[in-house]
Amino acid sequence: MINRRSARRRLPFAALALSAAAMLSLSACTGTSEPDANGGGSISWAIDVVPETLNPQINGQTRARPIFRNVYETLLVQNDAGEFVGALASDYEISEDGTVYTFTIRDGVTFSNGEALDAAAVALNFEKINDPTYDEEAAGSGPLARLVSVEAVDEQTVVLTLDRAYAPFLDYAAAVFIIAPASYDVPDVQAGGAEVYGTGPFVIDSVIEGQEVTLVKREDYDWAPETAAHTGPAHLDEVTFHYLTESSVRLGALTSGQVDVITGVNAGDVGAIEGDDGLVYTSASNAGAPWSLYLNSTAGPGQDPRVREAFVLSADIDSIVDSVYQGKRTRAWSAISVASGSGYNEALEGAYGPDFDRAAELLDDAGWTGRDAEGFRVNTAGERLTFTLYRTGAFTADDRDVFLQALQAQLRQNSGIELDIQSVDGGVWYEHFLAGDAGASDLVTGGSTGLILEYVWAPKAEGGVINLSNAEDPQLAEWIGEASGSSDLAVQDAAYRALQAFVVLEGHYILPLVEAQQELAYRVGVEGLGFLPVSGDPGWAYDAWLEN
Amino acid sequence: MLRPVVLRVLSLVVVLWGTVTLAFLAIHAIPGDPVQLLIGPRDIGPEARARIVAEWGLDRPLPVQYLDYLWGLLQGDLGYSYVRKRPVADIIAAQLWPTVELALAGLLVAVGAALLSAVPTAGRRRAGSVARTAELVIVSTPEFWLGLVLLFVFSFTLSWFPVAGADGFRALVLPALALGLGTAAMLAQLLREGMADALDEPFVLTARARGIGDGRLRVRHVLRNAAVAPVAMAGFAFGNLLGGAVIVEQVFGRPGVGRIALQAIEARDVPTLLGIALLAAFAFVVVTTVVELTTLLIDPRLRARAVS
Repeated sequence: MINRRSARRRLPFAALALSAAAMLSLSACTGTSEPDANGGGSISWAIDVVPETLNPQINGQTRARPIFRNVYETLLVQNDAGEFVGALASDYEISEDGTVYTFTIRDGVTFSNGEALDAAAVALNFEKINDPTYDEEAAGSGPLARLVSVEAVDEQTVVLTLDRAYAPFLDYAAAVFIIAPASYDVPDVQAGGAEVYGTGPFVIDSVIEGQEVTLVKREDYDWAPETAAHTGPAHLDEVTFHYLTESSVRLGALTSGQVDVITGVNAGDVGAIEGDDGLVYTSASNAGAPWSLYLNSTAGPGQDPRVREAFVLSADIDSIVDSVYQGKRTRAWSAISVASGSGYNEALEGAYGPDFDRAAELLDDAGWTGRDAEGFRVNTAGERLTFTLYRTGAFTADDRDVFLQALQAQLRQNSGIELDIQSVDGGVWYEHFLAGDAGASDLVTGGSTGLILEYVWAPKAEGGVINLSNAEDPQLAEWIGEASGSSDLAVQDAAYRALQAFVVLEGHYILPLVEAQQELAYRVGVEGLGFLPVSGDPGWAYDAWLEN
Repeated sequence: MLRPVVLRVLSLVVVLWGTVTLAFLAIHAIPGDPVQLLIGPRDIGPEARARIVAEWGLDRPLPVQYLDYLWGLLQGDLGYSYVRKRPVADIIAAQLWPTVELALAGLLVAVGAALLSAVPTAGRRRAGSVARTAELVIVSTPEFWLGLVLLFVFSFTLSWFPVAGADGFRALVLPALALGLGTAAMLAQLLREGMADALDEPFVLTARARGIGDGRLRVRHVLRNAAVAPVAMAGFAFGNLLGGAVIVEQVFGRPGVGRIALQAIEARDVPTLLGIALLAAFAFVVVTTVVELTTLLIDPRLRARAVS
């Protein structure tokens, strides 16, 4: 149920009370205000997607994760420094040669159906996710392609063996949501729901399909990871997640007090929230690849490296970020996000920028010397210099359509380059992706540095499942292989940094646009909400409580 | 009376069979790999591919597949969604009632508001043109925008109704208004025109001469006379409501088949889309048939024609 508060006029004393509450929430941050030991209460939370499935192992929607984070847990979690620390696994070890991963499973943890968490349960989870009859997409691909055996050697020890050293496997294995063995016997286990049990501080109480999921706290939960702010059961009794996909409706539900928390706030709405004394807005950058344009090096005008360089030199990203987002978003500089921590190449910040004269020289050299009636450059054959960009999904999410229109105008005005933006459905997008015939593609995606750089920059046949630039330089695969084959963080970092510098400054395969981030807004009185380190997920309701 | 009924039921069956055949052809006759079409834009391994070929019988001759498909449909088997990981029939069944509820409420709004707007104003120049202008504004307002305006005023500002969900009467009011008002405006125009014409008929003069009150005259005699055209339009109106439900469910965060359809389009979830298309076609054909039979009941003149 959505909270329904009666309409009230904002009287002066109400405003005073609210700002007093705001001060209380500030003091909460400094640790002088503590959650009431009895806790209790419930919050309603609007997320910006409808989950395709409620199975946490199969659902790939980043923005549905707030639901899963509270019900299901992972073997390890990352702390503020980005290091892995124990969660369902109390300890882990990677063999010298990097092929054997040993996880020690924590004692005394139970699933919400009463089953004990032991090595056999964890082993079953890893066998299932690599079984194509359970997950036809993920099984046998990506990091799972490396996994050759799963073994529970005793009650508390699971050993995963890979066919070769592959460092990003830790990121993957650490983040698998573990579900109760009995769940796999449920006929619709892939669709998820209340019968897919987890070990988390909340359990799924009820599901209204297409509308909401209600979680209630587990009284016997007593194995919070060390990254949590408290131990024992959650403070809140109940959390209800509503699916409100229209951003204006989500915002209205929050401002009218019908929901307590929303995730996914358009940059244009931030001002309205910040200007309201009764509301709090926060955001965090998340690990992965920032929202970027990838220039295709095997089809379209981007086959010529001079044209790719001219494309990058013709764009003034700073000015677009300023005008479209007015300081509410951060400009991106590299192929991975600044929040990724390890391996981020900060030297790229400010290392390149617009230079229209140089762009003109490059385009002249490349043979795009003429101009057509509309002012676009043409070559001697009379073909226009056009980069076709196919977009799918939420076309207008976060004003990205406005951003791209501004970029389109800049490219035309500064260098006579046409950016032809076409909105298509997912199927058409996928056909162009398979054909590799888009001149430019845009993408933002979350994930750990190692995995993301492999997905985006390895050759398509060698794990580059979202390689949009089709860059074929052999050193890319070498850097990726070098980093994933080494357990030495310094070696990994050096390879990842070199790769970023190369694709941005030398190959001109990518034009990073805006840092990926997650947003959270809530009413004053909700405390203890925040973002998980690295992933930037806003979902952790375990430490949340209500100010009385 | 019996013959037209039988004829119409027969044509219903033929139309449905045609729809189902089209759906089958959509999977099998479109160039490209039917497996890829069914699973949508995602990459799967050879084992999973083999399983889908087996599930859909794609390795058998087309006529056999066709008969299997028909037989499956008769048993309520609409296939499996590889996006939602569930049988399509289950997905639709779970979401059907909220949409039916919304469509019925929308219909109620449409008919109720049309009557309220048309009956008192028909044949009256001043009132008629005011109502017509209002209706024109509403007809030209997209449901999406109308829904947002209703939400802004009655939910966000006045807090009379909740924004989201499908629990209870209060949550149904705004979506039903957003959905039904456009259709109401359209029906009202038809009805007013029909009533204005009927008011000029000699029987009206006769009735008035008998001393009948204006209200009674309009409701008892003129309305029935003018109702045939709007009722015949009801099939069209129903299609309007189905289409509108997609938008309204999205704006109001309501569960329902319309929202599922939109997500299926975005994810290119072909099995779910086909299931919903079949359902919509079925509902549309049934409603149109019922409407045709109803007009026969209302208007004895048509009955005579249908028999002759």
